[in-house]
Amino acid sequence: MSGAARAPKGVVSRLVQALALGVIFVLLYGASRSGATIDDRLSAVAAVGFLLLAGTLLSELLEPVGLPHLTGYLLAGILGGPHVFHLFEHETVARLSDVNTLALALIALAGGAELRIETVRRVMRSVSWALFLQTAIGVVVMSGVFLALSPLIPFTRELSIWPLFGLSLLWATLAVARSPSACMGILAQTRARGGLATFSLAFVMASDVVVVLLVPLALTAAAPLVTGGDFSLADVHEVGREIVGSVAMGTTLGLVLAAYLKLVGRHFLLVLLALGFVLTDFLKYVHIDPTLSFLTAGFVVQNLSAQGEKLLHAVEQMGSVVFVVFFGSAGAHLDIPLLRSIWPVALALCVARVAVTVGAARVSSAVAKDDPKIRRWGWAALISQAGFALGVAEKIAEKFPQFGEGFRALAIASIALNEIAGPVLFKLALDRAGETDPHEAAPRPSLAPEPGTPHG
Amino acid sequence: MTEIALLLGLLALSYMGSILSSDRTIRGFGLPSGAEYLLLGFLLGHEVLGVLDRSTVAKFEPVLVVGAAWLGLVAGVGYGHVGPRRVRVGRALAGIVLAAFVGVGVAAAVFFAFTLASDVTFHERLLLAGAAGIVCSETTRHAVRWVVERHGAKGALSDALADFARASVAAPALALAVLFAAAPDQGLPGLTLELRALATLGIGIVLGLVATLLLGREFRRDESWGILLGTSLLGMGVAARLGLSALTTTFAMGLTMSLVSPHRADLKVMVTPTEKPVVLPVAVLTGASVDVQAAPFVPLLIGVALGARLLFELARGVLLSIGMRAARRAGALNGLGMIATGPFTMAVAVTIGMRFPGPLGGSIVVLAAGSVVMGELMGPLMLRRVLTRAGNIIPGSSQTPPPPSVDPGPPDYGRAT
Repeated sequence: MSGAARAPKGVVSRLVQALALGVIFVLLYGASRSGATIDDRLSAVAAVGFLLLAGTLLSELLEPVGLPHLTGYLLAGILGGPHVFHLFEHETVARLSDVNTLALALIALAGGAELRIETVRRVMRSVSWALFLQTAIGVVVMSGVFLALSPLIPFTRELSIWPLFGLSLLWATLAVARSPSACMGILAQTRARGGLATFSLAFVMASDVVVVLLVPLALTAAAPLVTGGDFSLADVHEVGREIVGSVAMGTTLGLVLAAYLKLVGRHFLLVLLALGFVLTDFLKYVHIDPTLSFLTAGFVVQNLSAQGEKLLHAVEQMGSVVFVVFFGSAGAHLDIPLLRSIWPVALALCVARVAVTVGAARVSSAVAKDDPKIRRWGWAALISQAGFALGVAEKIAEKFPQFGEGFRALAIASIALNEIAGPVLFKLALDRAGETDPHEAAPRPSLAPEPGTPHG
Repeated sequence: MTEIALLLGLLALSYMGSILSSDRTIRGFGLPSGAEYLLLGFLLGHEVLGVLDRSTVAKFEPVLVVGAAWLGLVAGVGYGHVGPRRVRVGRALAGIVLAAFVGVGVAAAVFFAFTLASDVTFHERLLLAGAAGIVCSETTRHAVRWVVERHGAKGALSDALADFARASVAAPALALAVLFAAAPDQGLPGLTLELRALATLGIGIVLGLVATLLLGREFRRDESWGILLGTSLLGMGVAARLGLSALTTTFAMGLTMSLVSPHRADLKVMVTPTEKPVVLPVAVLTGASVDVQAAPFVPLLIGVALGARLLFELARGVLLSIGMRAARRAGALNGLGMIATGPFTMAVAVTIGMRFPGPLGGSIVVLAAGSVVMGELMGPLMLRRVLTRAGNIIPGSSQTPPPPSVDPGPPDYGRAT
């Protein structure tokens, strides 16, 4: 992420940044209002440039009020996107999905590489309980909340009880999805170190795997309820094959990457580009989950070789540019008119999700006898939702086209609210827990606890 | 070939370019202009083998435009310096004037030839002549460096020719702004041609200043990449949207940074090594996008433009020998020593090809390819002869490893550690 934590900037620097932001805004605004688009092949290029610059500048300008950089990136996308100042079109935003592919690959690689066996062992008990209870309580309670709110949801009013039951199960599955990208983004910006940071990262990454497993199970269980058809284990069978394939592919990839880093070690950014763009498409083509594969690959590089730090450094280098655009385009994707139309239901579902997450966190912390910091703030990293949750929503909407559009719209609105509030809460938690150091200048190489640092 | 396979191929080429530019032991490998990759692209393209079909290549057009504009930025950032040595203003101006002299000569020849032998309209003739002049004006610094490094050349003439070559890119870059401003379809119809050309430069200068301000006093390489990429991509996108030359905009941006930023040397170290990794995929894509059939007047254009270039290069040689004592021994041959064009010309041709699709753009890409190949065959050979005559090369003394007199070896920017 841009803006490594360092000494605060002076008024002159902020003025320069505000001036630069104004200039680039005026430039793109003028070009977009000139009336003629001679060559729109590069409109996505201009959008990337704008998101990169405006996101970085806004994040720096929002820093004094304590907002995380992610909020700045999102805000740049929202302001420049098709619903506010319309500096770029819907089609342009859609074309930015290539950047998302690369970003998700980098996030998964870095996420895997951050999971050191030693670290995981330290938080194993806490994370295991949290995973189990967050998932179990989340699915049960959020299903109930969705059922209770269904009279207020336009596309569920006509449904009978069994389809509604199936639908609520799917919503609950979506609700337990977290955002690895937001978690990593905040940790990268704040250079946070300590028990809460370690727990949060380990939980969110492990939760990613759990949701990957949970989605096909939920789809399998919900299908006969929603469509009235027979119960079929085809999806479960398919996901079993996919997971085994993903882990196998990820292990191979991890070993190859470790060998490359050891033997060659140069021009790794180009290798990452090839992985992000080319290998992701190939994996999708052969029905292997790219996220799980890259996660496994990162884990293998970190734990089965001595090249983990190199991998993390390279991902951090490239991520400093890619993640800004990734979150900026997520902001540009936010459908503000839609959010305006269904915000009461979406807000109610989000509030319920936060309450369930906090409650489950308290229970799991008590059971696992967590450190007070985790007991108090362990829920904060679990609020954000972003690209991964959108992917889950998309999968559900595709599987059940009869209510796909409505489900997708409500999911996007809820994820948007979580996307905006989540990073702010997580940064606040890290600040309050005393795990961020605004004066630390050196980049954070990894979340590995320093020798001798007690867990929590 | 699928898009993914092509993307993988382009990334592999880029990887190869990184190795070629970073590894000192194989830096001399390959032709200075990268013309062999152009030929490779042409062979793989729809004109010969058909491995890269037209629709797949068309999907990568934005990559071509961005790659070409990036080369403009690289040229701008490195402008005015040959290695650690600053090019004197007088010499830089002389380099620009001499390049413009050849370009204007070629343009005039093409204009009159097409007046006599073709039925294209006046405006098209003007655009075609201007574009031909633009792609026939640059002297690639790579060819000069190649000869200097291979043969251990040292002396006043080799320094002067390196300076002229470095300065020459400004002529096509500036002329391109005028050519685009004169295009029939306009994004800024309310402005005059001069103002449109100035707007092209203005966007680049403003973004260059913004980038300089944001880079601040303290140079942090990781953050600088974000600023550099952001400003240059924004500049490319805005210029293209308005029908202006993205390459000139990025050139102006790079030049502004090189003039006002205290981090000029750091910036050059950052961007120079990216040149080769960008050139190779751009060259292959350009070669694959060549459409000889869509360029009906290619034979006439190539014959006239390249013939005129030879003549005006000889004239440039004469002018040089009159103006410089060190160049007197070689006489008119001095000009032929500067005939090699390279990646920058290809980038210019690509930019023209994308802005003026159809016969005009297609013909110019083919002409640029022809100019690169001719320069490749003739330039280094003639330059060697010129420098030998001037006493800058002692016959039989080729030096290895090459001296870093012209361009410093790039750092290993891609190292993961």
